[in-house]
Amino acid sequence: MSHLPFTRLLSLATRQLWREARAGELRVLFFALLIAVAASTSIGYFSARLSDGMLMRASEFLAADLLLSGSSPAAEQQIGSGQRLGLEHAQTVEFSSVIASDAGIQLASVKATDSAYPLRGQLKSAAAPYAAEQPGPGPQPGEVWAEARVFAALNLKVGDSIEVGAKNLRLTRVLTYEPDRAGDFYSFTPRVLMRLEDLPATGVVQPGSRVKYRELWRGTPEALAAYREDVSPGLEAHQRLEDAHDGNRQVGNALGRAERYLNLASLAAVLLAGVAVALCAARFAAKRFDASALLRCLGLSRRQALSLFSLQLALLGLSASLAGALLGWFGQSLLFYLLQGLLPAELPPGSLTPALAGIATGLVALAGFALPPLAALGRVPPLRVLRRDLLPVPPSSWLVYGTALLALGLIMWRLSLDLQLTITLLGGGLLAAVLLGALLLFSLQGLRRLLARAALPWRLGLGQLLRHPLAAAGQSLAFGLILLAMAMIALLRGELLDSWQAQLPEQAPNHFALNILPADKDAFADRLAQLSPVPAPLYPVVPGRLVMINGEPVRQIVSKDSQGERAVQRDLSLTWAAELPRDNPLSAGSWWNSVQASEMPGVSVESGLAASLQLKLGDRLSFSVGGINRDARVTSLREVDWNNFQPNFYMIFEPGTLQDLPVTYLTSFYLPKQQERQLVELSRTFPTVTLLQVEAVLAQLRSILAQVTLAIEYVLLFVLAAGLAVLFAGLQATLDERIRQGALLRALGAERRLLIKARQAEFGLLGAASGVLAAIGCELISFLLYRFAFDLTWQPHPWLLLLPLIGALLICGAGILGTRRALNSSPLTVLREG
Amino acid sequence: MKSSILTARNLSKVVPSAEGELTILHDLSLDLNPGGSLAIVGSSGSGKSTLLGLLAGLDLPSDGNVTLAGHDLCTLDEDQRARVRAEHVGFVFQSFQLLDSLNALENVMLPLELEGHADARERARTLLERVGLGQRLTHYPRQLSGGEQQRVAIARAFAAEPDVLFADEPTGNLDSHTGERISDLLFELNQERGATLVLVSHDERLAHRCQRLIRLEGGRLVDRVEP
Repeated sequence: MSHLPFTRLLSLATRQLWREARAGELRVLFFALLIAVAASTSIGYFSARLSDGMLMRASEFLAADLLLSGSSPAAEQQIGSGQRLGLEHAQTVEFSSVIASDAGIQLASVKATDSAYPLRGQLKSAAAPYAAEQPGPGPQPGEVWAEARVFAALNLKVGDSIEVGAKNLRLTRVLTYEPDRAGDFYSFTPRVLMRLEDLPATGVVQPGSRVKYRELWRGTPEALAAYREDVSPGLEAHQRLEDAHDGNRQVGNALGRAERYLNLASLAAVLLAGVAVALCAARFAAKRFDASALLRCLGLSRRQALSLFSLQLALLGLSASLAGALLGWFGQSLLFYLLQGLLPAELPPGSLTPALAGIATGLVALAGFALPPLAALGRVPPLRVLRRDLLPVPPSSWLVYGTALLALGLIMWRLSLDLQLTITLLGGGLLAAVLLGALLLFSLQGLRRLLARAALPWRLGLGQLLRHPLAAAGQSLAFGLILLAMAMIALLRGELLDSWQAQLPEQAPNHFALNILPADKDAFADRLAQLSPVPAPLYPVVPGRLVMINGEPVRQIVSKDSQGERAVQRDLSLTWAAELPRDNPLSAGSWWNSVQASEMPGVSVESGLAASLQLKLGDRLSFSVGGINRDARVTSLREVDWNNFQPNFYMIFEPGTLQDLPVTYLTSFYLPKQQERQLVELSRTFPTVTLLQVEAVLAQLRSILAQVTLAIEYVLLFVLAAGLAVLFAGLQATLDERIRQGALLRALGAERRLLIKARQAEFGLLGAASGVLAAIGCELISFLLYRFAFDLTWQPHPWLLLLPLIGALLICGAGILGTRRALNSSPLTVLREG
Repeated sequence: MKSSILTARNLSKVVPSAEGELTILHDLSLDLNPGGSLAIVGSSGSGKSTLLGLLAGLDLPSDGNVTLAGHDLCTLDEDQRARVRAEHVGFVFQSFQLLDSLNALENVMLPLELEGHADARERARTLLERVGLGQRLTHYPRQLSGGEQQRVAIARAFAAEPDVLFADEPTGNLDSHTGERISDLLFELNQERGATLVLVSHDERLAHRCQRLIRLEGGRLVDRVEP
């Protein structure tokens, strides 16, 4: 039949598909795909939109989506480029200056802004120090806002005037919150906010002054990416571009982990899809052996028969995927609608990408899992019409699993764009599957011997499994993978929430105290002990700058935009300590003993900075401290948890090295909100001490984490629901033979009760074995994931031991439900219908 | 003398088995003219179905050759043989071989659709009415009795107007009364449409309705009845 053109083949495939669909033949495969695509699409949408939402929230830390900062004004073309791309724009200029009032002077960190500032988040202010704060636009030209500390230090009240350089400005409100203050955690001087229009008149900013210019941008992700691409190549040495991801470490970490989790959840959905399709596709192919032989008898060539089935499968895949994507979209819309009170109001609508990714997922999974069994259809010998026992030569298992793995890998990589995560998951999964499959096969063989003496229901039920041990192992593995995907997502959810909880305990320090003079040190510590239940120790601080590494000027070593570059551009807080701080594990070298023999003092360096500056043990570092040079040798590298809201240091010196230099102390402490008035009293008693409130940062971080948590809870529900659906669909695909056998036994006079018992034995064992596989696989993969993807500490999870029980109950329930037709209807009907 | 539509020369089939090579067909030759009918009879395992498979090009002989409608099947690959089958051959099987997912009408339409006939539905309907199933067009195989299923299969076999119709135990799965009616139908249609019939059966009565008969035993031709 060489004259069968493609269009005829296509129309034939369509008609055949329609007829088979009408006959109810394709229901299982269609629904398995539908569920898989719906789940991965809705998770995709949910995570994309929430992650956009969280990013938007996190952008408040920058007061913008993207920030271009530098020590001199941005070039005209850098600003022009953003405006051409339709981005919203705001400008700020920050500098230190002495402000003066009748009562005295105070060093302040002045920020001059235009009227568009802030582009993300809101300024908050109060009518008087420590009065209730309100959100609203910033100061007008001629006005100035200041933090309560300034009011206290200069004995000011709202309505007074202060001088900033040569310009007199009227104090109109107390500044309580700037969205982007968080990024500037260690700014010691109090903030004064004024308008950019008034800046020239102050005369403070002169060529050579230390000034930070910031260009704030806000817009669509596409426009921002275009801006980044446009501006990045021409960045000056002093300029930096940053977004919410690199702007704030705490938020960046939380966001990064949440995104990885959501990605992982999508991957779990893909895995579920894969398993579902694999279970159904093999059945799809097996059911078409006769049809294929017949078509060959009717004159279709091998290629034409194969094309016909491939086209059918492609059409089926496309329609199921499209319907699934649509369902997924409605699902997530409904969820957002239900959750509208809990989620940020202006959530981006989400692009087409998750839907397309969902459809692609369905199609690639279908191709990967279904093509190999389908290829066997092309090889069905036409002689099968005469001899039913003739089966096609099965495709090489390497081909089958290779294609499937490749397809899975491709989808996972496409979804996560994270090669490490993909390889970890896929490699771990593969390893688990091979090991556990072998274990299972081995145990089934052992079971055969035990079975001879078992009661009839057991022999009937387990005989079913033992008759095709390879198929039983395959099914058990498939159900095991489904349980594994569900358990893994549940497990990670708990760990992530715990790790965030640990990062932000209820009484996380919400204040920092800086510039504590040695003379005030003990008195301050005593006062703090009365106020705060959990003060941190007082750390000595000497501001110093790293100038040389092994005699080479440091500026020639560091690369632009690195952590090292930022660290050497400013004074570092140098400290000394006899004991290694808690939460600072050593990653290289050793901590100093009480007696140090070396003539050059030792210094312990934070490992990230060390990597960025390419420091190694034994390097000689030269610091400039107020014009005095100090050398030290690197004796150890330390891991530092920057998320813990405790004072952390890049450089810790050996005791006795810096004592002769001018030193102040710093600490962090927790003060309950209702005791905040104590701060006024504290700053009056210790006027030189700078008190920083980080409550706003904490609150913001908490609200982001709450949203992430919510997202994770719902994604877990999605995955669990999809897992259950796929489990049922998959089970359905393996029931044909069992239904027939059940009917036969009934015809032979078996009682209903006996059949139910046999089913319970069979499905219970299948489920328990799947549960064991899932538990072992889950531990194995979680170990790999924690270590390589999430940076979490791994511990065994005893509750996973419940999985065999859960598996037995679930699969037993679903299996009995699925085979009830064989139990309830006349066995004759079942046998006749075949 | 008319030229043969189907010729077999010195056909042998050898298959590997646990005890070494097993010859299931020995050096068999035959000729069949267009419009004629041939019955292949023999007990189970005598090689009837093997011979049918070789004559229809579903399998290749170990030795000898088969010419069907002028094509030497042994020189053709599987796809080329499929083309010959599409143009010249129809089948009726013992186990009916209807597609479960298609109803009676769609099963009969299938070969016509493969050929691209625009009037597939009409022709299939006419054929089904001819075999007495005009009222069962939309019934699925599982809703039809064995005799009805075989009638659908016969209608399907004649749908593409084959030159040669191969029937493998067409009444083997049916009771004698139904079998009788099915064989009547088969011969009637064969006569009407002028096809050549090759019939495998162990039912002597059915076999004797053919013009010629050959008997196999242990893969050898032991008897030949010519008109």
